[in-house]
Amino acid sequence: MHEIVQAVILGLLIGGVYALMSSGLTLVFGIMRVINVAQGALVILAAYLSYALWSNLGVDPFLSILVVTPAMFVLGVAVQLVFVRSLRGPEAPELSLLITWALALGIEGVLSVIFKTTYRVSLPSYADSTWTVFGYQVAQVRFFGFVVSWVMLGLLALLLTRTRFGRAVRATVQNPTAATLLGVDANRVQTLSFGVGVSMAAAAGAVYGVIYPFNPGSHYDLISRLLSIVVLGGLGSIGGAVVAALGMGVIEAVVAVEISPVWASFSFFVVLIGVLLVRPQGLFGMRERVL
Amino acid sequence: MLGLAALAATAGGASGRTSAGPIKIGISLSLSGDFSDPGKFAMQGYKLWAKTVNAHGGILGRQVVLDIQDDASSPTQAATNYQNFITRDHVDLVFGPFSTLLTAPSAAVANRYGYAFIEPAGGGPAVFDEKLHNVFFTQPAPIVQSGDVFVNWVLSLPKAQRPKTAAYPELDDPFSAPIAERMRQAFEKAGIKTVYKTVYPSETVDMTPIVSKIAAAKPDMVVGGTQAGDGYSLVKGLVQAKYSPKFVFEANGPNSPGEFPSKVGASNTEGIFSASDWFPKAKTYGNPYFVRQFVKTYGGTADAIDPGSAEAYAVGQVAARVIQKVGLNNAKIIAALHKGQWPTVEGTLHWNSIGEPTGKFLLVEWIGGKLYPVLPKNVAVKKPVYPKPNWGG
Amino acid sequence: MSRATAASVARGLAFTGAAVAFPYVFSAAWIVNIGVLTLMYAALATAWNLFSGYSGYINLGQAAFFGVGAYALGITFQHMGVGSGYNPFIALPLIGAGVAIASVPVVWVALRTRHMTFAIVTLTLLFIVQQLAFNLRSLTQGSSGLMLPSPRFPISSYDTPFYLAMLAILLMGLLLCWLTLRTKLGLMLLAIREDEEKARGLGVRVTGVKLVAWSLMVWLTAMVGGVWAYYLTFIYPESSVDPLVMIGAVLMTFLGGRGTLWGPTIGALILVPAQQYMLTRLGASELYLIGYAAVFMVVLLLLPRGILPSLRDLVARLREWQRTRGSVRQEAAA
Repeated sequence: MHEIVQAVILGLLIGGVYALMSSGLTLVFGIMRVINVAQGALVILAAYLSYALWSNLGVDPFLSILVVTPAMFVLGVAVQLVFVRSLRGPEAPELSLLITWALALGIEGVLSVIFKTTYRVSLPSYADSTWTVFGYQVAQVRFFGFVVSWVMLGLLALLLTRTRFGRAVRATVQNPTAATLLGVDANRVQTLSFGVGVSMAAAAGAVYGVIYPFNPGSHYDLISRLLSIVVLGGLGSIGGAVVAALGMGVIEAVVAVEISPVWASFSFFVVLIGVLLVRPQGLFGMRERVL
Repeated sequence: MLGLAALAATAGGASGRTSAGPIKIGISLSLSGDFSDPGKFAMQGYKLWAKTVNAHGGILGRQVVLDIQDDASSPTQAATNYQNFITRDHVDLVFGPFSTLLTAPSAAVANRYGYAFIEPAGGGPAVFDEKLHNVFFTQPAPIVQSGDVFVNWVLSLPKAQRPKTAAYPELDDPFSAPIAERMRQAFEKAGIKTVYKTVYPSETVDMTPIVSKIAAAKPDMVVGGTQAGDGYSLVKGLVQAKYSPKFVFEANGPNSPGEFPSKVGASNTEGIFSASDWFPKAKTYGNPYFVRQFVKTYGGTADAIDPGSAEAYAVGQVAARVIQKVGLNNAKIIAALHKGQWPTVEGTLHWNSIGEPTGKFLLVEWIGGKLYPVLPKNVAVKKPVYPKPNWGG
Repeated sequence: MSRATAASVARGLAFTGAAVAFPYVFSAAWIVNIGVLTLMYAALATAWNLFSGYSGYINLGQAAFFGVGAYALGITFQHMGVGSGYNPFIALPLIGAGVAIASVPVVWVALRTRHMTFAIVTLTLLFIVQQLAFNLRSLTQGSSGLMLPSPRFPISSYDTPFYLAMLAILLMGLLLCWLTLRTKLGLMLLAIREDEEKARGLGVRVTGVKLVAWSLMVWLTAMVGGVWAYYLTFIYPESSVDPLVMIGAVLMTFLGGRGTLWGPTIGALILVPAQQYMLTRLGASELYLIGYAAVFMVVLLLLPRGILPSLRDLVARLREWQRTRGSVRQEAAA
């Protein structure tokens, strides 16, 4: 029993970070029907940036979020302008899938050239410290990561509900044509939202790089999880992504402890397929036959 | 198709068989992709060997030229590269690539055309299961036997001092889990009870669930079938869980003299065992010279030299010696290598008919903050220390 | 037979003749080896095109079926022995069919979701199959890899049987694409690509049509995987389910022209030798991956319809220009 509770704690802690990563992914889809397959690679890129700041300048990885996030926001805007916006036509969503995959490969290639394929991890002084809470171990870095993730998600929620930009975003999601008629600049909303989505990945990347060793190839594993999470949660639903991410973290950790580590990530895919059988639109998605 | 025809026309002419020309050796290495880091170490070893040999007049008076091609860590590309070396470039000799996974298909290609396949890194069961006669693995023994020396030592201890129970965390790859499994079978046969065993996938980043289960089972001995990364995490995890077994062996991790203390904490290394095919201070054939030249050429310290470079260098040593003996004829080379002893930086090597070296790996241990070989006796620098003291002291 | 059909048939026969003769004319082993790789990608791209090009559903799981085919062949022959060496080739269509049938329930689940979700679900198939390859150790040997017996083909022409096997699969794929375009199946697929709801409204059995195209794609892909496994004689989970191989095939389809007959093959004929060249020149500095990504982006952004359709457009416009020029001259002369 002790092990299961420990596993659930672990799963929730890491699930929070995955929730942050996938929030950006599902937000972008909701607004412009684009699946950013490079989200995983962008997380890793942020992890490297944070790592570089830590290993060269001694900047605490969590503090580096303040630098890395705005930098990657700009990158996200640039990417949307150069690559995504130029895709036109009814097949743009599918083409965007492929073009962001190409982008992910490109990022992997650039990172391999600069950093080689050695595994890296930021190791601030408290990297190995744990607290013992009611007999359960809680690693400090995971806890901080969890807190940071929820702070960022909270900021995202505020952005979407309390600002004009947020209202424009939600209007565009609901009905792009009506939004444009009411004066919303759809192009600007899309570009800025893409930047926001990448910012989420950036913050998550800085956190990820403290908890887990990573190398340029780590994005494959990440993106497969992120995509499964957003599909399970329902494409376009941030709340759904959060629930799915937490669920994924817990399922994996519990399976690793109770059955075997080798079946841990597999079990999540099984759950995904199972849910899709019953609810093809995911947990909180809207039912839509064809795009 | 026209493009291919043009390629054929231009490449057909090159042939390294003029008697006065250089000796051409084809090598496929992983210079990009998953294996690119170890691939680079192997390349350093090969190149250093070529430089050394050429500086001393070459082999049979001929200079050695290495043709190194990238296989992007792909077995399909590795096989293609060796096809190109042998049937397009008509090289005199080929050396092996990095990793069992790439060596297995490449050795089959070389075998088809009767080329000897002296290789530094394909030591997993898959290579020897092919039962090819042209394969020669330049490490002391097949990788799966890495833990044999430790097993024999533990079982040689008086019964009262032996561990009674053991836990086996194993990484799921061809080089790690098989080692621990072999050790487990030997230990179980001798009556050491297995209280926990688990296999974890290679992308596992979180050892906490596994560590907590090990700590709960309270084994006297932990045998880790590990690579470096998870080897570090396992030790760190046990430290954090405040559980200190009396015997700790890890297939990899503790055998990195430079990295291990910084990754787990210098005070936690005492008494931990590992296996190694090569040691910077070993007095094997040509080793002091190799270490000096390596540091001179590539910088860094002796302790930072990756064994992969030594393994590749050993390939060259074997090749030079056998060519001096029987000339540049692959069939004769294969026949000659199946007999006798061949001294290298990896030790004196001898192979059976399917390419398995018949020697023993080194058992290494951390004593007083440094890594030493402790067995076999003829290469040991210190005697094994046991049981392992508590963490931090 | 109409003129267009006769021209098609003639092109097909010419290609077949040239391709069959190739390994006998250029019999150096390394050339035939490159031929095997080129045909492998051409077959994969053609198969991908058969489902995704015509139906408009992007399938990102092709590599999974390549891997299943590879393992299916390996497991079958691991203990059985390959007899004359040709047994695996003979067993291929059956093995492929088995894989195709097994894939139907999986894709049926995926097809209930919308386009984008479908793409993602097929992508997860990659990871699922790879995990299964790792974990079902008693069947697949897991991470240690699976070994196949080596055939005793004569050394002077060792690669040729593999070349011909890949060619046979490619020709079958081309034939299937050609037939699809000429039959109701093709019309229905294209209708689905245009507007699925409308097609459904018009009475098209949408799901059934997609399943047929899907099964054919899996059949072809699994067979290619089987030949590949036999060629290398050693397979393991990471190499058998390799996203880069699949992305290469998709890229070649886009380069040549999605939804066309010869597009994927042309894409392969261009990119495979180029890939080998890039690896020789750029591999060592890891620019290889960047180069790959760059080519992909260029194709998607600048030449999204691919070479063949763009060429056809160019030719049509040239003819139109010539015709108007001719008529202007006539008018001027008159």
